[in-house]
Order: sequence, then C-alpha cells, then structure tokens
Amino acid sequence: MPAPHLAEFVSAYVLEAEEHLSTANTHLLATETAIRAGESNLRGVREVFRALHTVKGLSAMVGVEPVVVLSHRMEALLRTADRTHARLPLGAVDVLLRGVQAIEQRVSAFRDGRAVEPAPVGLLREIDAFDAEAPESLAGARLALDLPPELSSKLGAAELEQLQIGLAGGKQALCVTFEPSTEKAERGVTIKAVRDALERLGDIVKVVPVSLQGSASGAGLAFAIIMLTLHEQAQIALAIEGQLAVSSVAAPGTPAEPVLTSELEIAEPEHDFEAQQQGFVRVNVTRLDESVERLSALIVNRFRMNRAIAKLTSAGVDTRELLQIQNESGRQLRDLRGAIFRVRMVPTADLLERIPLLVRGLRRAVDRLVSVQIDAGTTEVDKAVAERLFPALVHLVRNAVDHAIESPDERLRRGKPQEGLLKISCAARSDTWLELLVEDDGRGIDGEAIARKARRDVPASEAALLELLCAPGLSTREVATTTSGRGMGMEIVKRIVEQLGGELSLRTQLGVGSTFVLRVPLSLSIVDGFSFECGQQRFVVPVSSVDEIIEVEDSALVRSPSSARGGLPVSMLERRGRVVPLLSLAGVLGLSGGGSDKKAMIVRRGAEAVAFAVERMLGQQEVVVRPLEDELVRVPGVAGATDLGDGKPTLVLDLAGLGAAVNRRQLELHS
Amino acid sequence: MTGLYVVFRVAEAEYAVPAAHVLQLESFSGVTAVPGTLPHVTGIVQVRGRIVPIIDLRLLFGEPEAEALLDTRIVIVELGERTVGLRVDSSREVLKLEAEQFHVTPTVVTDRSRGFVSGVARVGPRLLMLLNLVKVLGEEELHDDSDHILDDGSAGRRALPG
Repeated sequence: MPAPHLAEFVSAYVLEAEEHLSTANTHLLATETAIRAGESNLRGVREVFRALHTVKGLSAMVGVEPVVVLSHRMEALLRTADRTHARLPLGAVDVLLRGVQAIEQRVSAFRDGRAVEPAPVGLLREIDAFDAEAPESLAGARLALDLPPELSSKLGAAELEQLQIGLAGGKQALCVTFEPSTEKAERGVTIKAVRDALERLGDIVKVVPVSLQGSASGAGLAFAIIMLTLHEQAQIALAIEGQLAVSSVAAPGTPAEPVLTSELEIAEPEHDFEAQQQGFVRVNVTRLDESVERLSALIVNRFRMNRAIAKLTSAGVDTRELLQIQNESGRQLRDLRGAIFRVRMVPTADLLERIPLLVRGLRRAVDRLVSVQIDAGTTEVDKAVAERLFPALVHLVRNAVDHAIESPDERLRRGKPQEGLLKISCAARSDTWLELLVEDDGRGIDGEAIARKARRDVPASEAALLELLCAPGLSTREVATTTSGRGMGMEIVKRIVEQLGGELSLRTQLGVGSTFVLRVPLSLSIVDGFSFECGQQRFVVPVSSVDEIIEVEDSALVRSPSSARGGLPVSMLERRGRVVPLLSLAGVLGLSGGGSDKKAMIVRRGAEAVAFAVERMLGQQEVVVRPLEDELVRVPGVAGATDLGDGKPTLVLDLAGLGAAVNRRQLELHS
Repeated sequence: MTGLYVVFRVAEAEYAVPAAHVLQLESFSGVTAVPGTLPHVTGIVQVRGRIVPIIDLRLLFGEPEAEALLDTRIVIVELGERTVGLRVDSSREVLKLEAEQFHVTPTVVTDRSRGFVSGVARVGPRLLMLLNLVKVLGEEELHDDSDHILDDGSAGRRALPG
C-alpha cells in the first residue's frame, strides 16, 4: 500500500508550487514595467529567482522532472543576470513568463493526474539564448558519483550540472536519507522539516522518493536527499535529532572544471519574509466545512434544549436561569459560527493579482496600450465567492481592453494619454458585502448605438442600459475581435453576480469611460443539491443530507394507526431490515398535493431514519445557499434559498432538521 | 413630519410610509412560500439578487385575502439593516405632506389597529393612515423573543402543520 500521507503531500506540493509561481509572475510583471521605465529591478529578479528555486526543489521532491528542468534553466538565466548586474532584456522577461506558464501547465497536469509533458525544447533554447553563461552542454560530461543506480538514474542533466558546478566550487556532495513515519511526524519531524533544516546548511540538488521494501515503519517510503554543502558530514547528520543517514557522493575537486565564483545568495531568506510565513496554516476547505457541520449539530441540540425548557416552564418550573444560560450559549454559537466563516476568508488581493497577467496577454492580442492599477486594500472574501467571481472579472477586464479602451492613435486624437488606464479596486461595504469596481477611461458605452443594434428603445437610465447590455444573446460588438464579443460576456457577468446573491451596476459617460460595480456577499455556502418537486413547488436539498432515494411502491407500505389521532398520516416501509417511517413532504410542509408521490428520500439523524415522499426528482446541481437573514422567515427545516436560474428564490430544505422535528412531534402525540 | 410619503391602498383604506424608507416599488409576480412562518408572511421574493420576505398587509390587518391583480404592488421598505416587502392592493402616488396635515390619532384607531397606525394625515377629503413600520415589521416583538439567534429560530412561530 502506498504511504497514506503521499496524497496529502502531493496536494501540499501543488499548493506551494502555485503560490511560488504566482509570486514569480507578479515580480516578472513588475520587472517588465521597471525595464520599460528604464530602471532595473534587482529585488524583483531575486524574488523570481527565489521562487523558481523553491519550485525546482519541491518538484524534484515529487519527481516532476520537466518542471525541474524548466525552472533550473530559468534560474540559471536569472543567476547570470544577477551576477553580471546586467539589465534583463524585455525579451528575456517574456521568455521567463512563458516559462512560468509552461511550469504552471505541468503542475496542474500533475495535480489532475494527467501525463506531464516534457519541457519544451524550443522554449529551453530560447531561455538559454538569453543566458550569456549557459553551459554549452554539460549534460554530456561524466561525473563520477558514488550512488546506487536507482538514484543516479533519477538525476537529470540539470542536477548533474548543478552538482558539477558545486563540486567545482569546493562543496561536497552528500546523500542524506530520511525515513518518515507517523511517530516522527507527531514530533514535527517531517520531510518538509528535514528539507528546511538542510536548506539552511547547503543547497538541495534533488530529493528522490525511494520505496523501502518490508520496512518497519509501515509507510514503506523514504527520501534520498542529494545536496551540496560546505559543512561536515557529521554536522548534516545531526541537523534533525540524529534522524538522518548521510553518505558522501563525491568530494570536491572531482571534475577538473574552472572554478566559478560569486554564488547568488539564496540560503538566507529575508527576515520579513520569514515573519510573514509564520502563523499561517494551509487548510483544505472541506475540513472547514466539516467543522460547520459539527456546529450545525450543536445548533440542533440547542433547539431541543429550548423545547425541553419550554416544557418545564409550562409545567410551572422557574426556568429563568436556564433561559439565561441558553441565551448565552446561543450567542456563543453565533460567535463560533462567525469565527469559522472568517477562517474561510482569503485576501481579495490574491484574487486580483492574476489580473495584470491577463491584461498583458490581451493587450498584445488587440494592440492596445493599457496600464493596470489594482487596489485591493485589506479586504477579504470567502474562498468560494472569490472563485466564482473571477470569471466575471475576467469578462469585464476583457471587455475593457478589447472594446472600451481606444487604440493609441484614437486616444491621441481625443486628447487622452496614449496609454489607457484600467483600475480595479474593492472595498468592504459592511460586514457582509464587498464592492468591486472595474473602471476604464475608454470610450464609454453608447446607449443609442446599442439600442439601435438591438432594435430596442434607447435606455433612459444607466440601469436600463445595463439591463439591455445583459439581455440574453445580445451581441453589440461593432468590430469583431478574436478575444470576445461584448454581449455574451455581459450576460454571464450578470448571472454570476446574481447567483452569488449580488448586484451589478454601471456608470458610464461617453468619451470618458465606464465603471462596473459588482456588489457581492463576502461569504456564502455552496452545496451540491438535489432539486425536486413537491406540492407543485420546487425545492432543493443538499445531496450530503440524503442517505438514498427510493421508489415509493404502495404495496410495500404499511399504514400506522397514528393518523387517526390527528397526526400526519404515517406509512412505514422496510429498508435494509429496518422499519422507516414514510411521510409525505407536502403534508409536513402543509402544501396541497402529495397524493401522487413517486419517490422518497431517506434522511438519517443519528440512529433515526425518516423517508420523505415527493412527487418527482428533477436533477442534481451545485447551488449557492443564501441564508434567510430576516427574522420573519427564519424557520426550522429551511436552510436558505437559492436561485435555480429563473430569478425566483427556491427553498433549500434541511430535511434532517425537519425529520427530527417530525419525530419529536410523533413521540409527543403518542405519549 | 414634513416630507415625501409613498401612498398605497390596502382593502379600501389608504396608508402612507415615509419615502425615505422605501427602496422601490415592484409589481407582484408571485412569492416563494416559506412553510412555518407567521401567517401574514406569505413568502420570499428575489429583488435584484436580494432575498426579501413579503408581508401581506391585508393579512396583517385581518382583512380577507385578495387575489393578485395587475395593480398589486410590493413596496420594498428598509428599516435599519432589514429589507422587507409589503404587499399592497395598489400604489400610485408619492405625496408631500406638511406637518400641519397630521392629526392626533384617535385612541380608537391606535387600539383597533394594534399599533400599526401611528398617525393620520388629511389630504383634501382623504384620510391617510401613517404606517408604523417598526410595528409592522415586528421589530419590538422580535426583540422580546430571545430565540432568534441562529439561522432557524423557532419559538413564537406558527407550528409546522400537522
């Protein structure tokens, strides 16, 4: 069996790699801007270097060879640039950006379990072309390494080259073996900790996972870390609680190569960088959802307690103190819920940092000059909202670059600066709303022209104009472009914003520019839901709450006598050897109909199961659940409302809660 | 008291609310019923992406239920953090009312209206009743009721049918 923590290890790799790649992108773009302005951006170059270096190390550890090769060559180019204090040519930045993109593609392929394509030879050549000191062909050079073949075969040309350079520089090459185990992990001794410790003592060339047959640890996995260092072997062995086995691979001076000087300093990260990293934990969102579910269980309990207290009160017991405690626990639960939701928040800046790269690609395609200004402030937004909102932002940015901002010539004629400005900013508008502004200084939207094209009346207000722009199927582009047509995009933008429970608005002035305002909730919950029909009304229920869906067959039902006592008519069915009460959901909800129920959903709470009969199931889809905020409509059994796309709210039911309420009532009726 | 008021009609009587509290008027195109609410809360609607509960003023005032007609309107009002829609028979006017048009509300009216009317204004031959939004939206009652802390507060509700 493969090590159970391997999957987690892979997802941690992907997360970390993506983060560093995004850092590389950001700094490459900043460097490009600096170069255009005639400045050099030494700090930026180093940040890119550092990011790529880390990506290389991480990728070697999980064995994504093409990424190791790519990042190594890009790293080499940057190292040369740094050493020679040369200003990077714009072409080099471009090649590097494409390199990052190629790495990103390979990392996602790896994440999705697809085949990882080899590093593109053409791109590698382009990278080397900008590297004045690119080694002609070190790959061919033989290096005498004292390594077992299963390890030496894993070393690519890039690593051999790195070893060779390191050895030539007086370092020694070591092979450190680390065998992870659950017990070690509990003490904090993980491969990551080992890697971090070793990184402080030298340069890690490659981390190779090796399988251990019949090992005692149970994991059956070990890591062989090949590194270059100036330190003694013994010192390395003691790096982490003496958990490492170290052997020499090759001593310095083995190959007679010219000695290279002045290594780029990378071993010591800047202190502020380290401080930023401290106190952060990466968490899988599903784990957070889990805690929300646990919380719901507490909330349900609280309601049961309420009922118990109410019973006591009506029996004449003094329950004032109990009520006080109960109120207090209600407040605490609310605070706890707030705290959990805050954990799900990500900085809006993370969402917006991808925009400059997008604009860069667009302005090439359409020959526009556009600068991007981003002001995310310190706002935060739920991860799910951020992910859903991004496509809408992409559409708006695309429209602005493609259509709104004029060509440089036209802008000059109109007395505007040649370079257009695209501004994206956001601000929290209370505890619950975020406002995102996408602003351009382009030509503005000509309501009359659009109305003419659409054969509609000229819109009287900006709201009406927006309505027209977002009309389904309306395409108003006056010039066909390869990247986008405006009409379709706007329809999607509007739908995204409204499905999030938000609002889209527009301010525009002919010749001056347009601003789109997206007002969206800071957080929301998304569930996979079954939609169904019951009492001529549509409902949604979270898939996770339904145990199974069954056919209702009259012959298999047994009627209970409780219906004669004024309760709901209850039938029973047998399921897996247990008797399950079957209720008509229409009856429970007080809706008409319910006689023609064909399907039933079995929900379970603890040991109790209830089947709810409904007319028919309609389908399964992901829905955004919005809580019913107003006191007037907060009722048990209703988790919230969603928009299934018809612009009308559809209730999302909490069948388990409903089942518990019904069960209790049945018990009361019988007692 | 002087200011703009939105005037509407419910069961042959005319009412007014300060225009400052009115977000918009919507024509009525059905509601999504929410089981287990107070009887006069007929459901929810979605207005510009927002979920808004609807109070049928006829039901709140104890008048017979009426079918929705073309004139039927939803007056969306805002009170503090809350946004609620009031279903009314029709709404066509926004009037400017001066302070001297308001009269002391006869006790009998306050009593009979269970506090929903906070004043009476005379406009020519017509009498407009000024709606007490706090009371209509049930803010006071809800504050007494300590059980609405989490999403699905249940005390003081019409029990689920059955």
